[in-house]
Amino acid sequence: MPRLLSTALSLRRDPRLLKIPPYISAFCIAIGVVWLLLLPLDDYSRRTYVSENALLPGQVHTYFGGSEQSIFRAFRHEVDLLASKNNFEVNDKLESILTGFGVKVGRQNYTYHSAGEIYSGENVYGILQAPRGDATEAIVLVAAWKSIDEQLNRNGVALVLTLARYFKRWSLWSKDIILLLPPDSTTGTQAWVDAYHDAHDSKYIAPLPLKSGALQGALAIDYPFEHRYHELHIIYDGTNGQLPNLDLINSIVNIAGGQMGIETTVQQMAGHTDSYQDRLQTMLRGMLYQGLGYPTGPHSSFIPYHVDAITLQPAGEGWHDEMAMGRVVEGSFRSLNNLLEHLHQSFFFYLLMQKNRFVSIGTYLPSAMLVAANFTIMAIFLWVKSGQPIAKREATDKPKGDISEGKGVSTTTPSSPPTVERNLLSPLALVATCHSISAIPLFVFNHLGIKTLPLAFLLFSVSSTALPAVFSFVITSVQKPTAQFFQLTKSFSLLILGVSLATLSTLNFSLAFLVGLLASPLTFIQPTKNLVTRLFLVVLLILTSPPVVISSAAWTSGVTMSEVLKAASLGWNVWGMYTPIIIWCVWWPAWLIGTTNTLSSTLKL
Amino acid sequence: MRSLLSFLPLIVPSVLVSATEYHEQLNLRPLPLSALLASFNFRANTSIADFEAQNFRLFPRSLGQILQYAGTRELHLRFTLGRWDAESWGTRPWDGTKEGGTGVELWAWLDAETDQEADEKWLTLTNALSGLFCASLNFIDGTRTIRPVVSFQPEGDHPNTTLDNTRLLHGVLPHEVVCTENLTPFLKMLPCKGKAGIASLLDGHKLFDASFQSMAIDVRPICPSEGECVLQLEQTVDMVLDVDRSKRPHDNPIPRPPPGRDLICDTSKPYHKPDDACFPVDHLRGQEWTLSQIFGRTMKGTCPLTDSETPPVCVHIPSTRDIFSSEGAHEIKYPNNDSLRCYHIEQEKEFTLILTKPEVPADGEVASLGIVKPETPVLYAERSFTGHGQEHGGVQAILTNPGDDTVEFVYMESLPWFMRVYLHTLSARISGSSPNTNTTTEIVKQIYYRPALDRARGTQLELLVSIPPHCTVFLTYDFEKSILRYTEYPPDANRGFDVAAAVITTLEPKAMNIRTTSLLLYLPTPDFSMPYNVIIFTSTTIALAFGGLYNILVRRMVGANEAPSGALKDKVLGFINKLKKKKTAVAAVAAGGSVTPATGKTEAK
Repeated sequence: MPRLLSTALSLRRDPRLLKIPPYISAFCIAIGVVWLLLLPLDDYSRRTYVSENALLPGQVHTYFGGSEQSIFRAFRHEVDLLASKNNFEVNDKLESILTGFGVKVGRQNYTYHSAGEIYSGENVYGILQAPRGDATEAIVLVAAWKSIDEQLNRNGVALVLTLARYFKRWSLWSKDIILLLPPDSTTGTQAWVDAYHDAHDSKYIAPLPLKSGALQGALAIDYPFEHRYHELHIIYDGTNGQLPNLDLINSIVNIAGGQMGIETTVQQMAGHTDSYQDRLQTMLRGMLYQGLGYPTGPHSSFIPYHVDAITLQPAGEGWHDEMAMGRVVEGSFRSLNNLLEHLHQSFFFYLLMQKNRFVSIGTYLPSAMLVAANFTIMAIFLWVKSGQPIAKREATDKPKGDISEGKGVSTTTPSSPPTVERNLLSPLALVATCHSISAIPLFVFNHLGIKTLPLAFLLFSVSSTALPAVFSFVITSVQKPTAQFFQLTKSFSLLILGVSLATLSTLNFSLAFLVGLLASPLTFIQPTKNLVTRLFLVVLLILTSPPVVISSAAWTSGVTMSEVLKAASLGWNVWGMYTPIIIWCVWWPAWLIGTTNTLSSTLKL
Repeated sequence: MRSLLSFLPLIVPSVLVSATEYHEQLNLRPLPLSALLASFNFRANTSIADFEAQNFRLFPRSLGQILQYAGTRELHLRFTLGRWDAESWGTRPWDGTKEGGTGVELWAWLDAETDQEADEKWLTLTNALSGLFCASLNFIDGTRTIRPVVSFQPEGDHPNTTLDNTRLLHGVLPHEVVCTENLTPFLKMLPCKGKAGIASLLDGHKLFDASFQSMAIDVRPICPSEGECVLQLEQTVDMVLDVDRSKRPHDNPIPRPPPGRDLICDTSKPYHKPDDACFPVDHLRGQEWTLSQIFGRTMKGTCPLTDSETPPVCVHIPSTRDIFSSEGAHEIKYPNNDSLRCYHIEQEKEFTLILTKPEVPADGEVASLGIVKPETPVLYAERSFTGHGQEHGGVQAILTNPGDDTVEFVYMESLPWFMRVYLHTLSARISGSSPNTNTTTEIVKQIYYRPALDRARGTQLELLVSIPPHCTVFLTYDFEKSILRYTEYPPDANRGFDVAAAVITTLEPKAMNIRTTSLLLYLPTPDFSMPYNVIIFTSTTIALAFGGLYNILVRRMVGANEAPSGALKDKVLGFINKLKKKKTAVAAVAAGGSVTPATGKTEAK
């Protein structure tokens, strides 16, 4: 140990050591990316398995079928008759049907304001009380009147009504079954779930007249079309990239595949061949949805409250009919009904590569952590470097060495690197300014109306590009910036970025990874005297600036900027999505400081 | 239920005449939507003198001896499963006085001079009853026992002198699942042991398949104005059967979809087509059953010990409905109550009843469905948790007074110690008024509160509340969830902890009892699984590695000979050197003179 220590100590003084960190940073990023690319391989991903023994997926006979189909058709006719009616008329009819089965019905009004638009409606829901139960636990079956693609969820709603009548006849339910029929797939469930947990804003959202016990799981049906389908698409992404317990997905895959012979897919990967490319594509799609943090279906609102939920969406052309779908739901509910404890086993953090292949957090987390670590390493390096005199170092080092040699062992002070005083005020001021003005885009984009949003974004993009030049002009005019000033500003900004992303990677891996990757050029920006290099750096920085990245991403995926901004605003105002905070308050200030540094060095020279 | 009460006086006078007597009666009352309330009542009297002389005849010896040994003056034991649906079923049977909260509830007046003596007797009583009724009553320990102050009053006639020396103790086990093992000892206590009389209808399969079921045992002394005091044992079973479910054959209980031709469809629908689309209207069908169908067996005559005056079976149904009874039974109608019919039965004959299908009602009369309309209860009560997360929570009780009179009642909660109630947050709000107006003092007249002691006793909260007519009161309070020691968690820690039902005892306009549903409380639960260990180990490793690394980076290491001399060692060495010098000096003196003992000691060192 002492020898190890002395070696380490002697290394510490080695000037060569100070040359290494930039390479380590680059290496971290490279390893992080390669790590991610390795995950789809058989050696790094695992097959899924059902961890919770109580679930027993696919172990029960399902009886939904036969004459229930006539009833289903009748309910579908009823739904068709209501297609042109307004929300309240629809709910009146649904309420009368549900009351007929002996289901307790409640209704809830809600209004959301976002991007100058009003999203209001009325949820109708029924509580099918467990015979012999005691309102301590409940499972939820959701069918939004409008599907995720804004179509009439004909089969979905009719199926929920038929299943409610069918479930009522069974006496084995240990948990209440809540049938939730919100008017749309986006805001309705959120209002309901918030009110169920008393986390709603009572000014705009009414409380629930009826309640049951703790929610144990939720299943949403999104089934708008008429024809027979081929596979079930399982949508599982929750708000802010939170995921439901993997056991829930496994059980459904097991019930649909093993018992009913229905294919299941995830992340819209129909025809998954289980090849490396397909696995990688599935994983990257999953990461993209997770990174965006935007709700993907009516189930998304449940997940922040630790209620495991998924949406089932039939897809493709095949031979399975709505009764098969009903049996899948029946089987899943029987499994959930078996639960003695809240779903707590298995995984909450995972990346799915295929319906039955996943990587868990322990395996994938290092890749985002490495990307985040590169910023921290660079920040520490710059801190150390900022404490060293630049030009005079060799001059001062030499005589000191002579003295120590001359005096021999009697020297009491060890030859630690000489330090210069760091001037912290102005770098801290710059970093603090950049971070505090980041509240402006956050506020503006989440409070403006839809008509002004695209214009505001345009203005912001322009000013965001111009701002570094303004800042650098101000800096140079106030005081002559030194190399230490650049090192310290960059060090502080990278330190904040590194710490934020490392923390974020445990909450939302994908978002941390994507932002880390896009911000990685900031690590390597250095003040340079070469005009060509400088120009190249500025162009690179502008290309990786948040506004440019967002608009180019919108352009590639074929959505207009106003839709993106509207969705982001809705996500913030309705679901409490925190992606805008990460983009505007973590990434954008770091970019601003990096670019200011690059430009200031030009102005200085 | 008032009709049931008005009927009770028929029995009661006869009870009071004779000291040793036995009565039994079954009341059947069809409720809306295929529910049927069956109330079994068994009542045995024995004179106090006989009881004290251990002369048991109709009173079961097993229970009698326990009561004597534990010095019990009055005993009430309840086994309840399911919930009473007051909204559709109306007033509770026996005005709720013969039911408990979900699980097991026990309260008794014990002869005791001091609280400590009461606790000892209570321990004896619970342990003995636990063995007798095969229930975990022995788990009613100090943390689950409270001493209600205003909620419970003795039902029997006690002389004031004895009452002063008794203590009331009350305990609940909300998580106890009531099942057949509790029914068997219950039936064994009857004089006819379930072999004859109405008790022969009690089949565990049907009883525990009921939507609501409550078994009650009450022991109380009754002192009529003339005649000697008797000890009365009343056993009651109330169950709400689902007629459709009960009618399913014993060997084929699965509710498969019926054949298409058996469906009851609304033929007026335009899309109606047999075997294609059928809008179900079976909820409008009305009840139709036979006694042997719904109980799974026929009634075997009457118990020979029963009082022949009391008709053993009564049905509450409008006189327009046709009921057929088996041969030998004698139907009694009451002129003052035309919706009540009772039957006298021959002793040895099997008895059955047949309720026929109601006549097809004329249009517009659908709602009545040929049953006696349930009476609106005095008060509706509902209780649920509010809030989410693992730290804080809230309880909300919604109490609705549907009637024209002010309702005054005592609201009692017995809460576990790990639910730390913040009494200052207790607030009562009348619906319609804004949440900020504080009307608590007007609604809650009196508070009796006994705070919890960690791991020793639970919280006891009794509130005297009065609600004006046609008002809904929201009674809320917040609590903190405490963290348990890890050995205190049960094996199914993630299920949550049951919180016993609140007991509501109305004082005005009439005395009755209501119990809310029990609640499931999630406490912060450690992850008792592999990832938990992994996190702990990783954190430990990181902490150790960090310590070492920090040492290497920060601590200055120098060779022993290079180091500036250590302070303590220096002093010691300096001291020794000094001594040495002294010694030489002393030795020089000694050469010329005497040696003092003190210096001799120093030398020895």
